[in-house]
Amino acid sequence: MDFYLGLIQIIGVHTLLGLSAYCVLLTGQVSLAQAGFFAIGAYVAGMLTVLLHWPLVLALIVSAILGGAMACAVGFPALRVKGLMLVVATAAFGEAVRLFFFNFTYQVQSGAILLGPHGGEGFRQIRYFPEHGWGTLDVVLFIWTIVVLVMAMLWWMDRSRVGAVLRAVGEDELAAQSTGINITAVKVSAMTIGGIIAGIGGGIFAHYTTHIEHIQFGIVLATFAIAYPILGGLSNVFGTLLAVIFIQGLLIEGLRFLGDWRNLLFGGLIVLAMNIRPRGLLDAGVLMTLKRLVSRNGERKGA
Amino acid sequence: MIDLVQNTIDGVMIGSSYGLLALGFTLIFGVMRRLNLSYGPSIMIGGYVGTVLYVQYGAGPLAVAGTMILGAAIAGIYVERLCFAPMRMGAGIASMVSSFAIWMQLEQAAILVLPRHTYPFPPLTTGAPLEWGPFLLRLDHLIMLGCALGLTAAIQFALYRTRFGLALRAIIGNPVAAHLVGINVSVAVMLAFAAASAIGGVAGFLVLSVDQQVTPMFGMWATLKGLIAMMIGGLGSIPGAILGGLLLGVVEAHCQWYFGPQIRDLAAYIVLFVFLLVHPGGLLGRAPGSDIAAPRTP
Amino acid sequence: MLDVTDLVTAYGKIEALKGVSLQVEGGKITCLLGPNGAGKTTLMMTIAGVLQPRRGSIRLKGAELAGLSPARIVSQGVALVPENRLVFPHMSVYENLLAGAYQRHDKAGVNADIERMYARFPQLHERSEQMAGTLSGGEQQMLAVARALMSQPRLLLMDEPSLGLAPLIVAEIFNIIAELNRDGTTIFLVEQNAHMALQVAHQFFLMEQGRITFKGTPGQLAEDEVIQRAYLGTRRAAG
Repeated sequence: MDFYLGLIQIIGVHTLLGLSAYCVLLTGQVSLAQAGFFAIGAYVAGMLTVLLHWPLVLALIVSAILGGAMACAVGFPALRVKGLMLVVATAAFGEAVRLFFFNFTYQVQSGAILLGPHGGEGFRQIRYFPEHGWGTLDVVLFIWTIVVLVMAMLWWMDRSRVGAVLRAVGEDELAAQSTGINITAVKVSAMTIGGIIAGIGGGIFAHYTTHIEHIQFGIVLATFAIAYPILGGLSNVFGTLLAVIFIQGLLIEGLRFLGDWRNLLFGGLIVLAMNIRPRGLLDAGVLMTLKRLVSRNGERKGA
Repeated sequence: MIDLVQNTIDGVMIGSSYGLLALGFTLIFGVMRRLNLSYGPSIMIGGYVGTVLYVQYGAGPLAVAGTMILGAAIAGIYVERLCFAPMRMGAGIASMVSSFAIWMQLEQAAILVLPRHTYPFPPLTTGAPLEWGPFLLRLDHLIMLGCALGLTAAIQFALYRTRFGLALRAIIGNPVAAHLVGINVSVAVMLAFAAASAIGGVAGFLVLSVDQQVTPMFGMWATLKGLIAMMIGGLGSIPGAILGGLLLGVVEAHCQWYFGPQIRDLAAYIVLFVFLLVHPGGLLGRAPGSDIAAPRTP
Repeated sequence: MLDVTDLVTAYGKIEALKGVSLQVEGGKITCLLGPNGAGKTTLMMTIAGVLQPRRGSIRLKGAELAGLSPARIVSQGVALVPENRLVFPHMSVYENLLAGAYQRHDKAGVNADIERMYARFPQLHERSEQMAGTLSGGEQQMLAVARALMSQPRLLLMDEPSLGLAPLIVAEIFNIIAELNRDGTTIFLVEQNAHMALQVAHQFFLMEQGRITFKGTPGQLAEDEVIQRAYLGTRRAAG
C-alpha cells in the first residue's frame, strides 16, 4: 500500500513540475530552467521549516514567491533569445542554479547534529512531516489538494481570455503582436507562473523525500519537465497529468520488474509514443473523439 | 605571469577538445535545425566499444580510436533513424524529447555492458611533456589541437568543395528545394549525422585518452560541453565552433586556477548565459534567432 | 506524355486532391488554372514526389511515378520550378545551377549546360558569384527555371512563375516559357495570371476544390469566363 501511496506522491509532484513547463510552452517557449526553479523552491522551503521552524504552508508560499520572482528575473533577459538559444540559455541557468547549491553550505547546530544544506552532500533531515505527526495518507491528500488547485487554476486560465492570449503568442508571435498583444508581458507572465508552480512543487518535493541534493535537479529533471507536456499534448492540463502517469507510473514503476533492462525499453517507448503522436497523447483529435463519445452517451441518457 | 600564460596554454589545449565536440554539434544543428541531446551519449557508446576492445583484447590506441569512431557513427545513425528521420517538420521539440529518451537508453546500455562505474582507457602517448622556456606542453594536448584545426579545415573543404557538401548546403538552405533538384535528403541527413558523430568520436577518443578512464557520465559531459562551445562560437559557424571551444577552455582554466574546480563549471554556465543574452549570435554566428524564420540576409 | 489518373492526396483526413485526372501532351504547353486552395500546388508537389498520393497513378510515357522518391522522379526526367522559387539563398548562382545538376555525373556536359544557361539568362551570368538570396524576384525566378533545366528534364513543371513579380518581368518570364517550349521542352504550368497563361498555353484545365472541372483549348471558352472561374470558382461565380 505504501508503495502506491509513494507513487501517487511522486506523480503529484511531477505533475506540478510538468505544469510549470506547460504554461511556458503555451507561449511557444521551451524552457529548461524549470528544474532550477524547482531546486530553489526545494532548498528555500526546506531551510524555512528546518532552520526557522516555519509552518509548511507559509514556507511553500515563500517558495512560490521566490520561484516566481526568479523566473520573472530570468524571463526578461531570456526573452531576447528564441528557439534553441532559449533552450540553451535556460539550461545554462538551470545548471548554474544546481552548481550553486552544490557549493552552498549553511548549517546550524541543533542538539547533537548539524542541520541545513551541506554542499555536495546535500540537505538531509527535512523531517517536517514525521515531526508534526503527518501520516503518508495525510501527505498524499495535502499534495493532491495543491495539484488539483493548480490544475483547476490553469484549466480556468486556459478557458479564459488569458489562455487565448498565451496560445496566440505561441502560435504566431507577429500576428499576436499586430493585434496589440504585449508579447514581452505575456511571455514574462507565463514564465513567472511557471516559476511559481515549480517553486511550490520543489518545496513539496523537499519535504516528502526528506533529503535533497544538487544532482537531483540537473538537466535530466529539466528535460523531464518539458517531456511531460510535450508527450501529453498542449491541448489542456490533463495531457500533462496523463503523461506523468504514463512515464512515472507505467514506464518507471510498471517496468521495474525488468530490472536493469527497464531504461532500454523506457527510452524506446517514449520514442515510439512521440513517433506515433508527435502532437502528444491527448491532442485535438483524441479530444474530439472523447467529446463525441461523451455527448453520444448524454443523448442516450436524455432519450 | 607565468601561471597566467601556462593556464591560457592549458585552456587552449583543453578547449580544442571542446571545439571538436562543438564541430559535430554544429554539423547536426546546421543540417537539422534541431537539438540532439543524444550526441554525447552516442560518443560515450563509441568509447565503451573502444574500452571493451582495450580491456578484453589489449588493443592499441589506434585500433581503439578506429572502433570508437565507428561505434559513435553507428550510434549516431541509430539516433537519427529513431528520433529525427520520422519526425515531420515543425516537430522539433518532439525530436528533442525523443533524443533525451534515447540518451537514457544508451546510458543504460553502457551500464549493462560494463557494470563497473569506471573503466580504463588507453593513453595516446606516455612521453614526458615538452618544455618550452618556463612552460610545459603535453604531447597529447598538442595532438588534440592539431586534430581540431585539421578537422575544421577538412570540414570546410568537404562542405564547399565536394558534391556531398553541396547537397548538405542545399538541404540547409531549403529542404524542399533540395528534394526537387534530386538530392536524396534522407540519406544525406543520415550521413551527416554519422559524420558528426564520428567527429564527436575523434573528440571523445582524445579526451578519454587524456583522462585514461571512461564512465557513463561522459555522455552528458560531452553533450553539455559541445553545446556550450557551439553556442558561444555562434550557431552554424564551423570556425565559430572551434573558437567557442577555445574560449570556453581558457575561461575554465583560469577559473579553475583562481577559484577551484567547482566554480569552474559554474563559471562556464554563467559565461554562456550572459553571452547568449548580450550577444545571442555568438562570436561568429548569423543574426540572432536565425533558427526561427530568419530574414533572408540582404 | 504525362497521364494523371484519379489522383488523391490528403493532409491527414482532409483530401486536397479528390480524384484528379488529366493529360499533358508532349511538346506542348499545358496550363492549370484555378482559385486559391483548389489544390494546384498540392498536385505539383505530388507529381514531383514531395507529397505521396493516397490513391491513383501518375504515368510518364507509361512509367509509373506515384510512390517514387523525389530524387527518382528527377532522374526520370521531371523537374519542378516550385512556387516562391525556393532558390538556395546562401549559395552562389553558380552553385545553385550546380545543385540543379546534382544527379548528373558528366562534368563536361554540366559545365556546357551552365554556359548555355548563362547565354539564355545573361543576368545570371553577371551575378554568377553572387549569393542567390540577394537577387531580385525576377532574377530568382530565372535562376529557379535555369536550375530546373540543369537536370535536362523531359517535362518541366512550373508552379506560379509570375507570383509576386512586376508586369514587365512577368511578360519576360512568359517569353522564356514560350521559347523553352519552341526548343522542345514539354511544359505543365500552374498559373493565377489567366490572361498571360492563355496566351501561351496550347491546352488548359480548370481546377476547383480538388477536382478538374474543365478541359479545353484557349479558344474554347471566353476569357472572361475562364478568369471568373479561375479566380472565384464556379460556386461563387454562379451566386
